[in-house]
Amino acid sequence: MGNAVIISEDKVIDAVKQAIAEALEIDKSTIGSDSSLIRDLGAESLDFLDINYRLEQTFGIKMARHTILEHVEEMFGEESAIDANGKLTKKAVDLLEMRFDGAEIGLAPGIDVEEAPSIITVRSMARGVMDVLASVPDKCPACGNPSWTAEDGAHIKCGSCGEQAVFTNGDDLMKAWLEKVQEEKKLF
Amino acid sequence: MDGTPFENKVALITGSSRGIGKAVALAFARNGADVVVNHRKESGASLSHAREVCGEIETMGRRVFAVPADISIKASVGKLFEETVREFGRLDFLILNAAMAPFKPIERLLERDLRQLVETNYMGNIFCIQAALPLLENTEGKIVFISSLGSRFYNPSYPLGSMKAAMECVVRDCAESLGERGISVNGICAGIVKTDSFKVLRQYMEEIDAMPDELFVTPEEVADVALFLCSPASRAIRGQTVVADRGLSNRLYRPVPRK
Repeated sequence: MGNAVIISEDKVIDAVKQAIAEALEIDKSTIGSDSSLIRDLGAESLDFLDINYRLEQTFGIKMARHTILEHVEEMFGEESAIDANGKLTKKAVDLLEMRFDGAEIGLAPGIDVEEAPSIITVRSMARGVMDVLASVPDKCPACGNPSWTAEDGAHIKCGSCGEQAVFTNGDDLMKAWLEKVQEEKKLF
Repeated sequence: MDGTPFENKVALITGSSRGIGKAVALAFARNGADVVVNHRKESGASLSHAREVCGEIETMGRRVFAVPADISIKASVGKLFEETVREFGRLDFLILNAAMAPFKPIERLLERDLRQLVETNYMGNIFCIQAALPLLENTEGKIVFISSLGSRFYNPSYPLGSMKAAMECVVRDCAESLGERGISVNGICAGIVKTDSFKVLRQYMEEIDAMPDELFVTPEEVADVALFLCSPASRAIRGQTVVADRGLSNRLYRPVPRK
């Protein structure tokens, strides 16, 4: 996996703000990097798909279609993340804290699953984009040169042969991350 | 259409804070009906959108109120209709529009997903029909179910289609069993509408972006069909689900024009 940052976090955050401003029809200048999309910007669950779609168009990537909690339940069994009453399990909260790098996400076990998306911020969405962008292979599969560039600041291309970069999709990256965490921590 | 078939009548539209439901609510109000707006959540964007719809209807001079109720919960449906009686004392038109479903292939649905799918989109609609019957009997009422092409055609990651198909059968059956009581039941199989759920669909069907604009149905066009099915002009139509898709489903071999 290529680790060199071809598109800076600032650029990605700016693109996320742009996508949110367009999807929610709000003024871009009112969006902070740590704004919660639901709590601070009034987004609804369907808006996330719209924002993701715009980011996919901007960067030529595929964002995750499903939430991390949905992946957990598919991989580790129903009720591993969300109990029979629709509440987050302790394991789910532990996992989300890991996913958000230990940031204060303000969730506790027993919180309704519908509250969970409120932890998504501009910065965490940008991270989702950065993860996908970082999945570009070290070398261009077409010409073998390690010379990715993004002339327009958004679409990564091979600097040698001009081939468009191909990325892993967000869902596959999330599953791979979950497998790694499970192997290390045996949460589920 | 003769006279004003909607004046002094009451329409209840489930899931009418946005999308097709909102367009139907506005269309009934514009044509003289008083409206019950229903939305799922008691707070957040669901509530604020419902208030916006109510505001628009009030400016048309119609009576309107919003009731938060999750139709998958029978007790909530009971309250929805109790409040309708309390506010308006009657119900003439029940538009079954509310829907909610996970977007994934059927083989990947969790038990929870499946229950939500059936409880909201099948049981919830039937709870509404049952609760509305005592009211609709008094008014020779009409029921219109909003279906989609997913009932007849494959859409990727759209398990809702199977529930739409089930409901189209409910429309046919209820039209017969309730016809004796003067209640009409029909459906509208809407094509691809650029509402919020289109935002989901286009993630699974990239071809949709290449579809010409004239093949998209507007929420207002669906609303017009709902008005027709609730007007005396449609009296010969019974238990049918009318396709309103601008001909999309006719174009089996050519959904997208050649470049």
